[in-house]
Amino acid sequence: MMALQIGLLCGLVVFSLLAVLLRDILKAAISLAVASLLLGILFFRLDAPYAGAFEISVVAGLITVLFVVTIALTKAEGGVHESRAAAWIFPLFFVVFLVIDFLVMRRLIGQVASLPAPAEAGTFGQVLWKGRTFDLIAQVGVIFAGVFAVLALFRKRSKHE
Amino acid sequence: MTPQTLLIPILLPAGLAVVFFLIPSRVKLVREVLAVLGASALLYLGFVFFSVRNLSWKTPWLGRGIDFDLRLYHFSAFILLGLTGFLFLITLYSTVKMRNTPRLREYYGYVFLTAAMANGAVLSNNFVPLIFFWGGGLLTLYGLITIGGQTSHRTAVKSLMLGGFCDFSMILGIGILWAKTGTLTLSEISVKPEGVLAAAFILMMIGAIGKAGAMPFHTWIPDAAVDAPVSVMAFIPAALEKLLGIYLLARIALDFFHLEKNGAMAITLMIIGAATIVLAVFMALIQKDFKRLLSYHAVSQVGYMILGIGTAIPIGIAGGIFHMINHAMYKSGLFLSAGSVEHRTGTTDLRKLGGLSREMPLTAFGFAVCALAISGVWPLNGFVSKEMVFHGALETGYIIFAIAAWAGAVLTFASFLKAGHSVFLGPRSQDVPRVKESQGPVVLPILILAALCILFGVYNKLPLQTFITPILDGHAAPGEHLDFTSHALSVFNPVALISIGCLILALLLHIYGWRRGGKKAHLASEPVHTFPGLKQIYDLAEARIFDIYEQGIRFLRSLSLVLFKGIDRPIDAVYDKGVTAVGRAFTRLFQSAHNGHYANYLAWCLGGLLVLVGVIGWFVGF
Amino acid sequence: MIFLFIALPLVVAGILPLIGKISPRLLPDILANAVFAALLAIALFAGPSLIGQGAGLQPFMFLGEPLGIHLALDGFSLFMLAAISLVGLCIGLFSVDYMEHYGHKAAYYALLLIMFAGMNGLVLVTDFFQIYLFLEVAAIASYALVAYGLGHEELEASFKYLMLSAVSSAFIVISVTLLFGLTGSLDFGAVSQALRGLNQPLASGVCAALFIMGFGLKAALIPFHAWLPDAHPSAPAPISAALSGLLIKVSGIYALTRIFLKVFGLTPALSNILMILGAVSMVVAAFLALGQKDIKRMLAYSSISQVGYIVLGIGLGTPLGILGGLFHLLNHALAKSLLFLNSGSIQMAAGTRNLEEMNGLSKKMPVTAATTLVGSLSIAGVPPLNGFWSKLIIVVALVQAKRFGFALAAILASVLTLWYYLIIQRRAFFNKPDEKWRDVREAPFLMTTATVVLALLCIVIGIFFTATISTWIEPARDALAGGLQVIQSSIGIQ
Repeated sequence: MMALQIGLLCGLVVFSLLAVLLRDILKAAISLAVASLLLGILFFRLDAPYAGAFEISVVAGLITVLFVVTIALTKAEGGVHESRAAAWIFPLFFVVFLVIDFLVMRRLIGQVASLPAPAEAGTFGQVLWKGRTFDLIAQVGVIFAGVFAVLALFRKRSKHE
Repeated sequence: MTPQTLLIPILLPAGLAVVFFLIPSRVKLVREVLAVLGASALLYLGFVFFSVRNLSWKTPWLGRGIDFDLRLYHFSAFILLGLTGFLFLITLYSTVKMRNTPRLREYYGYVFLTAAMANGAVLSNNFVPLIFFWGGGLLTLYGLITIGGQTSHRTAVKSLMLGGFCDFSMILGIGILWAKTGTLTLSEISVKPEGVLAAAFILMMIGAIGKAGAMPFHTWIPDAAVDAPVSVMAFIPAALEKLLGIYLLARIALDFFHLEKNGAMAITLMIIGAATIVLAVFMALIQKDFKRLLSYHAVSQVGYMILGIGTAIPIGIAGGIFHMINHAMYKSGLFLSAGSVEHRTGTTDLRKLGGLSREMPLTAFGFAVCALAISGVWPLNGFVSKEMVFHGALETGYIIFAIAAWAGAVLTFASFLKAGHSVFLGPRSQDVPRVKESQGPVVLPILILAALCILFGVYNKLPLQTFITPILDGHAAPGEHLDFTSHALSVFNPVALISIGCLILALLLHIYGWRRGGKKAHLASEPVHTFPGLKQIYDLAEARIFDIYEQGIRFLRSLSLVLFKGIDRPIDAVYDKGVTAVGRAFTRLFQSAHNGHYANYLAWCLGGLLVLVGVIGWFVGF
Repeated sequence: MIFLFIALPLVVAGILPLIGKISPRLLPDILANAVFAALLAIALFAGPSLIGQGAGLQPFMFLGEPLGIHLALDGFSLFMLAAISLVGLCIGLFSVDYMEHYGHKAAYYALLLIMFAGMNGLVLVTDFFQIYLFLEVAAIASYALVAYGLGHEELEASFKYLMLSAVSSAFIVISVTLLFGLTGSLDFGAVSQALRGLNQPLASGVCAALFIMGFGLKAALIPFHAWLPDAHPSAPAPISAALSGLLIKVSGIYALTRIFLKVFGLTPALSNILMILGAVSMVVAAFLALGQKDIKRMLAYSSISQVGYIVLGIGLGTPLGILGGLFHLLNHALAKSLLFLNSGSIQMAAGTRNLEEMNGLSKKMPVTAATTLVGSLSIAGVPPLNGFWSKLIIVVALVQAKRFGFALAAILASVLTLWYYLIIQRRAFFNKPDEKWRDVREAPFLMTTATVVLALLCIVIGIFFTATISTWIEPARDALAGGLQVIQSSIGIQ
């Protein structure tokens, strides 16, 4: 099972990289969807069904649909002129980051005591509604922010010069 | 009367000032009504406080002994009453006289702000708020002078500079006093003026007499007489500054430092006082403009006050302080009457005016009373206070001061004969059209002041006992009785007889000059003007040789040219080439790194993160 | 009662679109400003007594059952709430006239209120995840507000801001996750206890580094600052004021301070790192500000520089240093908002932000010129305005702690600050007026009122700084310093 785990993780990293590096935005959006799908499967395997379900339905589902629809409805203006340095800087950076990350994690893994699994606090619903009620209120705020952002940014421009 | 009400004399005028600054210029009636009502309220408060007599309020402010400390006691209540009284009269006067001035908003605003500052200064019992209020008055004075007209800017700057210099020396003096006594509270200080404290005395004295307008800090006053509006002259140099300056001088001489009769400090004061009396009155005599003449007299009369306080003898000190309030009243009345003349005729040039007594009888009457008062004619208030000063001067044993005071009296009367004759008596001048008497609000203050002059003279027991005697409590040797009234009105003592002799001499001088000048009143002073020896001095004075401000400016100009060429330009070159070039180089360096690319910025963020982790890891012992 | 700070703006924001349909301009104006005024009143009058009861942990009852809402009000939070509401009120007043030509004010006010609800929530919570959530609430509202003008430049700036901010939010979440994994809890108190028991310097170090990067980006510390000079100028002036004056401080500095002083404990390593970041921001941003021609960009770089001061003071860790840092936070909030609001006035009147085009506006816009002067002098640190005192306290604290190099850097940055502010004053106001500004008039009444209030506060706080410090800042500092002593003995990162 370790192999499957490692495969899923590598696939996640690879498809995320592709989402950033690919030139064709449609392909990039699809890569994002695939990466998210892999992440969702990982969540399921780590015994977090709710996280996995939300991940897949929101990212691989909703967001990808939004992206694809937007791409379909808009016309790309001429390609953005990027300097040639951009093509290799990011991969280089990424490699450096990987190396450093590896060195750091090697020291950390196995050092940190894993926590004893806490007594089950309750069902998901109970934890969400009773334990983290405030988060939900904050979430309402986030939703409001998003809604009003859309309202504001897509308002009729009659008064704006 | 809760202690907090002590804040009202400061906050109420300040608040009104803000209101006045905000009311648009076109709304005239509201402004006038508000001003008069506000001033009346303050006057009422002045009476109330005077009857309460003792109140104090203190709040810690900046630590280290700097507190906001207000104290009402007999002296400050008396001065406060005077300040509010003058505010009321001037406000009433201004409602008509200043009606057509541009910048009327600012005028009322500054006037009330000045009142707030003055009230605060008088009530302060701690040096720091005193300095603050004292200095605030400089700024409002500047503003008020500039309302006068286009050329008033120079005079306004001059008043600011001279006042600032005097303030600065006062602050130095206060600093020395603080260092030596360790306290900043006025009511707690009492030292002998020896050694370094003598320096403190001199410095603070400069501050006080500079405010009062004594020589040599007076040179802005005659200029302001021409440049500033006349109600400003009546308000500030005539009344407020005298009240504040002499109040502080009295506190310095009586409370803070114990002035000894004929001690070094006392003699200094007397010399300054005597010199001021004589020199200023000589200048006053030859003036051709009514307001300039009055302003030189304002300077000269301060000399009497300083001389009186400098005698360190109870009757002299009482005379000096009494003279302060008397002078404020009649000088203010004189300026207001000059203003009334200016209001109707449009000019104050003595050569152009004449014979106005028929057309402006009330103004003429008010002028006459005040002029007689300032000249020291029995039984008006000026006579009483001058007599007290003469007595004191004689008692010191130095006759020279009394002689100087008498000489001053001669020329004072002579110049007022000239002024009164030129403006109100004599043939009706053709240069000025027919006029009527001024309106009520203009004439009423003059008459009120004239009436007060008569009252304070005839019934001098009232002001002396209510106002002045309490101030001297504790300063007289035991046994010396402090009742001066028996002296005051008696004409049959040598001093009074000499004074009357001076008046007669002045009359003769005036008639002589008048005849010599072809019966033209304004030339009555020419004999003195063209007297050999005096003439040269007069010419030099007209050329402003004796004006320390002008000389100071000339010196500073040449000094600044030297510094500019020799030091400033070279340093500037260093900055210009060196520092700014280096600064610009750094700026360009950093700017080149900000090119607007998102990827660039993201790279820094991540790079920064890596560096942070590296640093922390290194600390941890990676 | 404290809950109102979050609930009231959210509720009003919710109903604003409906109200906006009925009355597009008047009612939204009044409602929004009323909310700010009400919150300010609560913070000023009810707040101090609420602190007196100890950190007010409020369990909330809804329909008879206790809900898991824990809000804590201590001196630091109250200080931030008061500052937020005060500046918010002035911004609200300013927006009444300024946003006229942007259109759809109801949506604008709704977003503004949500941003403020997010900020208020951030300072009141005691839980890591909730900090992240309220951070996001405020951030999302701010993305939309920066882009409000819908021009090309605004959209690009907002997008850059969003992208960089998303990265920082991601790192914050990572760090929170790591902490949760290490300690099993998300609550400040519990985490700080657990960290002390756990001997994991590297792990906590990594978490700390991630927090510094995440919140440092929000606070615009160099090298995480690059989004600010694009985002702040492009936003409408009141939003620039809200961002520079409040958001970077609340979501950046407040969070950093709270986390590092209360949870991790300010060990020497962390202190040094924060101080170096602060000093670098101070000096480099000042140099960058010198080269700017756009007045709002110059102000934006100045914000970065002043944030450096604040972080330097707080990072020093001594009680005096924290006092200076917090005082400077307040002063900068007031003065920078004032300056940005005025730049909006200038932009509205003269139509340009380019300093080289403006000339001699002081005769036409005297109130704006005067208040800009007050704001500039305050930030430049000229006595007796408030900025002078806070900078002085920071420098004194540095000298007392024998960090002379940093003290010199602080003074150098002050000189540079004065330099570029004088450039603004001279170019915008004092030169001879250009012909084209003949028709320029002073800004409308509400806009000038807002700026005059801020300017007066700068002056008053400058004169009565001892009273301000003892009433507001010392309780805040005491609330933080308590955590310091306790944790300095821990085995955190050495």
